[in-house]
Amino acid sequence: MPTGLTRRQTLTGGAALGWFLVSGSWLYTTAAEAVEKGFEPQTLTKNQCESLEQLAEVLVPGSRAAGITAYVDSQLSAGSRSLLMAKYVGVPTNQQEAFYKGALDAAAQALTSPNATVGGVVSAMAKDSVEGWQGPPSSFFFFLLRADALDVTYGTEQGFEALAIPYMAHITPEEPW
Amino acid sequence: MSGKHVDTLIVGAGAAGLLLGAKLANSGRSVTILEAGPKRELSDLISSQIWARRLKWSGANVEEGGNHPVGHAFNAGSGTGGSALHHYGVWLRLHEGDFRVASDHGVGLDWPFNYDTLQPHYDQIQREVGICGDEDAEIWRPKGAPYPMPPMPLFAQARVLQRGFDKTGRRTAPLPLAINSVPYEGRAPCQFDGWCDAGCPIGALANPLVTWLPRAEAAGVTIIHNAPALRVLRDPNKASRIRGVECVVNGQRQLLTAGEIIIAAFTVQSTRILLNSTSDGLAAPGNRYDQLGRYLTSHPAATIYGLFDDETLPHQGVSGGQLISHDDYDTKHHGKAFGSSQWLIAHAIKPHDLLGYGTGRPDVIGSDLKPWITRAARHLGNMTLVTEDIAQKDNRITLSSNTDELGVPLASTVHNLDPRTIALWEKRMGQGQEIFRAAGATDVWQGPRVAMHIMGGTVMGRDEQHSVTDPVGRVHDTDNLYVSGPSLFPSSGAVNPTFTLSAIASMQVEHLSK
Repeated sequence: MPTGLTRRQTLTGGAALGWFLVSGSWLYTTAAEAVEKGFEPQTLTKNQCESLEQLAEVLVPGSRAAGITAYVDSQLSAGSRSLLMAKYVGVPTNQQEAFYKGALDAAAQALTSPNATVGGVVSAMAKDSVEGWQGPPSSFFFFLLRADALDVTYGTEQGFEALAIPYMAHITPEEPW
Repeated sequence: MSGKHVDTLIVGAGAAGLLLGAKLANSGRSVTILEAGPKRELSDLISSQIWARRLKWSGANVEEGGNHPVGHAFNAGSGTGGSALHHYGVWLRLHEGDFRVASDHGVGLDWPFNYDTLQPHYDQIQREVGICGDEDAEIWRPKGAPYPMPPMPLFAQARVLQRGFDKTGRRTAPLPLAINSVPYEGRAPCQFDGWCDAGCPIGALANPLVTWLPRAEAAGVTIIHNAPALRVLRDPNKASRIRGVECVVNGQRQLLTAGEIIIAAFTVQSTRILLNSTSDGLAAPGNRYDQLGRYLTSHPAATIYGLFDDETLPHQGVSGGQLISHDDYDTKHHGKAFGSSQWLIAHAIKPHDLLGYGTGRPDVIGSDLKPWITRAARHLGNMTLVTEDIAQKDNRITLSSNTDELGVPLASTVHNLDPRTIALWEKRMGQGQEIFRAAGATDVWQGPRVAMHIMGGTVMGRDEQHSVTDPVGRVHDTDNLYVSGPSLFPSSGAVNPTFTLSAIASMQVEHLSK
């Protein structure tokens, strides 16, 4: 983790919320820019990231460009400071890494099946009907991943702008999260 | 290692703890408050639902079970202000019948006093904190002083939903809120931007950072942050006297001693601290009759959503809502259903996060999502049902066999709804959908049943065999140990608890100052 963080960078969770490893160097940037520049995930494997991005983009189009992969990876890397919505619904921060990795591995496995499509796997996840799924309940993961994708796509000033509604901040976040 | 002895040591810097600290220090006591979470300032209240998650509980995990888990991670807070830092400012009084559900209906527990006991404290706190509303329009409102501020203006969403109540013969009134509709006591008025859940940095919403904290600091209260309390310790020479609180300050275990100790760490953690306080073969304080942790309650709630041809602009207003309906509140028997209920109507709402409209429709994905969510952003209406929970002995908080990083057992909760409560919830949700259709909704759906607010566990009562504290919150088998906050509630009613817990704290100040 880089040293010499500013107060605001510390408040945002330091490395978990804005620092991304890109081409061997730490950059303080948005998740979307980190993805664009080819960030190196700290917690998820590249295979897990690829599955996550594919599923999220089907659930919430635009979430790939908004940085869903970097967002989830950075939050899982933040440990007890994770801001993922999962903590509200029975997945405490100390269990989130295992939860997401387990679900993403199961999804990756499903995506390798002959004739599998991302859309088909997503639909089956919603109904808990993915053949051979080994991991957290797929419909629950579907709900949480969709919520994460909504966070990055529509939960920011840019997201509000895309919906043509005013953000009206009292204190504007210097970073999306 | 021991800290300086003080007159009053309070555990928890939330709505109850800071109120007690400010008022007791003003009466001449030396007061220290231990707060498990970090120091919070108004500048930390960033307008973002993602940032807002920092304000929620971040301490030791709470294990949850039952058919209606209490949702501790969402309902609880940490740091200065506690859960009141992200509460929505819906300040309602319990109704007179809420205080005697066992006597009148044979369910749950009675309170050890009636509404008249609490009314002067409701009135006093209302004056000190500031509440806006229209007491004449609230035809069901218990007696009390008029609101010191006029009601909030109604925005488009409220006017559309009001139509549904009018057409179905139901009544509404402006929602009473501890939010400034006009400048009050040096605090700014609301700007109606719906960021209440992320904390209100302009001071319009009466969070403890702008109500009790300044008064506590002016009166010389010491607040120690990042200092979790582990347990209370009895005096070795007199078991009924509590000597102090074992806590962790700057990474070191310390014993802080005081003349009187008040545990105000919100429902689950207050109970956990007491349960962890067994010593020398003695039961934990208040637990000689196995009452500690019992009668855990939480309001079963859910939101009705609908899309309208009308433009509702649901980003306008405040998170708590704009209107209220308490029709039928005082009729608790409904065939197989039991309890009071209320509608909180026309919340300001965001597209994402747990309560967001986008999150509430997981069936809308892919290319359907953008047009749907864009329409919802301007044409959605929503309202929340809050239902009474029946206090049950076996709904309880216990200690887990798992421990936190300090070696303290985690809290474990079990909360199941009585079938009569579920029947009431289902009946009311059906009525809510009817109201939305009458208002002209073209598409109506409802969210899942969720736990709103957490109460009980250290309930007050008249005798030690059926409660943990006496009617002023003193733990039965002790001389100087008190509990404050919603854990004292013997029954839940169906209204938001912050006003009532504040009135009880005011009553406790009166008792302790005698």
